[in-house]
Amino acid sequence: MDTFTALAEGFGAALSPQNLLFALIGCLLGTILGILPGIGSTAGMAILIPLTLAMDPTSAIIMLAAIFYGGAYGGTITSVLLNIPGEGESAITCIDGYQMTLRGRAGVALTTAGVGSFIGGTIATLALVVAAQPLAELGLRIGPPEFFSLVMIGLALLVGLVGRSVLKGLISACLGLLIAMVGIDPVMGLPRFTFGLPHFFDGISYVPVLVGIFGLGEMLATSGAAPRPKAPTLRELLPNRTDVRRSAPAIGRASGIGTVIGLIPGVSSAISSLLAYSTEKKVSRHRDELGQGAIEGVAAPETANNAHSNAAFIPLFTLGIPASPAIAVLMGAFLQNGLTPGPQLFSSEPELVWTIIASLFVGNLLLLLLNVPLVGLWTRILAIPYSVLRAVIFAFIVIGSYAVSNSVIDIYVMVFFGLVGFVFRQVGLPLAPLVLTLILGPFIEGALRESLQISQGSFAIFIDRPLSLVFLLVAVLILAASLFGSGLKRKAGLPTDAEV
Amino acid sequence: MTRSPRALTLAVIGLVGLPLAACAQQNSTSAETGDYPSKPIELVVGYDAGGPTDAGARLVATALEEKLNATITVVNKPGANSQIAYTYMTNAEPDGYTMAATTFPSAIMTVLDESRNASYDRDSFAPVALQVVDPTAVAVAPDSDIKTPEELVNAAKAEPGQLTATTTGVASNEHFALAKLQEETGAEIAPVHFADGASAATTAFLGGNTDLLMANVSDLKPLEESGKIRVVGVMDAERSSFLPDVPTFEEAGYDVEIASSRGFAFPAGTSEEIVDKVSTAIGEVMEDPDFEKQMTQLGLAASYMNAEDYSAYWDETEQLFSDLYPLVQENN
Repeated sequence: MDTFTALAEGFGAALSPQNLLFALIGCLLGTILGILPGIGSTAGMAILIPLTLAMDPTSAIIMLAAIFYGGAYGGTITSVLLNIPGEGESAITCIDGYQMTLRGRAGVALTTAGVGSFIGGTIATLALVVAAQPLAELGLRIGPPEFFSLVMIGLALLVGLVGRSVLKGLISACLGLLIAMVGIDPVMGLPRFTFGLPHFFDGISYVPVLVGIFGLGEMLATSGAAPRPKAPTLRELLPNRTDVRRSAPAIGRASGIGTVIGLIPGVSSAISSLLAYSTEKKVSRHRDELGQGAIEGVAAPETANNAHSNAAFIPLFTLGIPASPAIAVLMGAFLQNGLTPGPQLFSSEPELVWTIIASLFVGNLLLLLLNVPLVGLWTRILAIPYSVLRAVIFAFIVIGSYAVSNSVIDIYVMVFFGLVGFVFRQVGLPLAPLVLTLILGPFIEGALRESLQISQGSFAIFIDRPLSLVFLLVAVLILAASLFGSGLKRKAGLPTDAEV
Repeated sequence: MTRSPRALTLAVIGLVGLPLAACAQQNSTSAETGDYPSKPIELVVGYDAGGPTDAGARLVATALEEKLNATITVVNKPGANSQIAYTYMTNAEPDGYTMAATTFPSAIMTVLDESRNASYDRDSFAPVALQVVDPTAVAVAPDSDIKTPEELVNAAKAEPGQLTATTTGVASNEHFALAKLQEETGAEIAPVHFADGASAATTAFLGGNTDLLMANVSDLKPLEESGKIRVVGVMDAERSSFLPDVPTFEEAGYDVEIASSRGFAFPAGTSEEIVDKVSTAIGEVMEDPDFEKQMTQLGLAASYMNAEDYSAYWDETEQLFSDLYPLVQENN
């Protein structure tokens, strides 16, 4: 049976009223779980698995998968409207998303994020249908040394994010790296900067840090004169022609980035959204506007994280490897229903596999149909008087920080970084470099040290591996181009990359 | 310093009252043992919701609720290889209403590693029951020349420290397994620590980045079935029911037995009646064929031990790991 007949039959099953209903329930649940910072879709899925045992396995897995990518969209809503990143992957969206809200363009931001998510998710799922096997092999070729060099590209893009003052940008970036260094050394096993608290042995979880820096920091900084984000009218909900023209290339690039990064098992979708944002900062025609409410700053990261979430199914179906914690939970659901994910699933349970793949398309479409009409409802939140909203937000971020690991220490972490965020705003330090290094930091360290253990201590491994060498060269080129480019601009008296 | 007579009187009443209050409390605890459990039991899991430890614990919690006619709330306190959860549980009131999912090597390793300053040790736990024993095994690429444990040992001896093997972190069961193999046979294999866990290690191995993949049998079974790896040997006394064709290291004459295991414990000082009641209930639950089937589907190798046997197993494993610990540190 060829792929497309099988897929067509899969659609037939996925579109049955029962499966549609469960996909819808899953999308709704995921969105709600994503809205709450700290409570991710992963925990939601894990808790629901026992309930799904009584269900038909196909419907159960369809519902759980829908929760998974619904969660990716839920985090966007709070990032854009309230400047609170619901999940790490939406953190970078806060920067331009919240600026758009302050300009009365919240509706446009949310609609664009919804459309971008749909396109990114669909492209990644198409990749799963057309080229799952070769793509999975590509993912496997990115071992620790290749990944290290790939992340170096991310760091090189940082130069684009540092803003007008290189010094301030580097301070922000270094602080992010320093926070990322907290925790048990991955090779020596010794605690670093943990104050002797076991809570910090695994590092400082970044959700409370980001919620503090963005959410609380903003509240403190504006406590004198509260911003008055205005709720958009019905007409202002939809993107205009300029918005569409500007977001289209960003969505295209971000779909590619998210799909490729999603193939690499163990890499968080936060990395996809960061790389997509940094790429826009480098290549977009309107890169100077990023950081001040540019539509690309919302379209790119939101597209990338949804493409990533969907591409993460590729290693699951082809290799049986769960690429992320959420996928691992989903794999648990497969197992509990007596199905072992992996290449043999295509031959042993073809109907089930193709129904699930078809449901990924259907689910992405449902998410779009569900969320675009709801944008109007979500933006009504902004009509609440800010004095009332502020109290609600505060309660919300405290609960969200606690929920990350059921620990009060995370609330203190959030408050501390709220003060840090306040200081950042007072002295004009950019936030984006900190977010980038905070999230990339542990991956850089892990990949570097794993590589050196593989090569028994030789740094040559990074240039001996062809793919790694290519990535490193790209990073050097980006770095050279940025330094040279900004030097030229400065000579001509033009402003360099705008401040973030 | 002068004290008012009133404060003195209060202090005296307090001093007399304390032991009385303590007596009253003791009485009420022993009276409560009969109708235990009379309120919800908290089951603390030191890993994120959705992982294998959490999945196993939730399975037991659900079945135990029915058996004990109680409410059991699973609370995830992830982080620090369960040290946070163990600290929380061992500080809780030993009244039978706080229980933790305990795993090896974490419950032993966090104590052995002095830099972690654990506030508990072996004596802070009252072991209840063992649920899962998942032996460690070694796998190679399907086209590798290494086919048996002997060939593995010989290959490692031919080029000491040149073969690389994945572990899931410093002082993980895989890391202890390498140390034990070296102690037993002199074979030196270089560890590559993947602190992010088994899926990162598996990916790196399948991409050809390491020579050997070390993992729990349950994780290796699906990969072996799909032909992506060949399991060379299992580090257990007997062959695994998941991989009946794979020889053990014991069969080859190497005394290497390493496993990760999962069970349950109360804080030390919990009354024996309560420990026995819960221990017996878990045993009954695990005898149910439906329950066993659910565990097998999740890749959990059911292996029940009651409170007494689990305590002995705990002491034995602690001895084994503390003997190997200097080797594990040296390996870095």
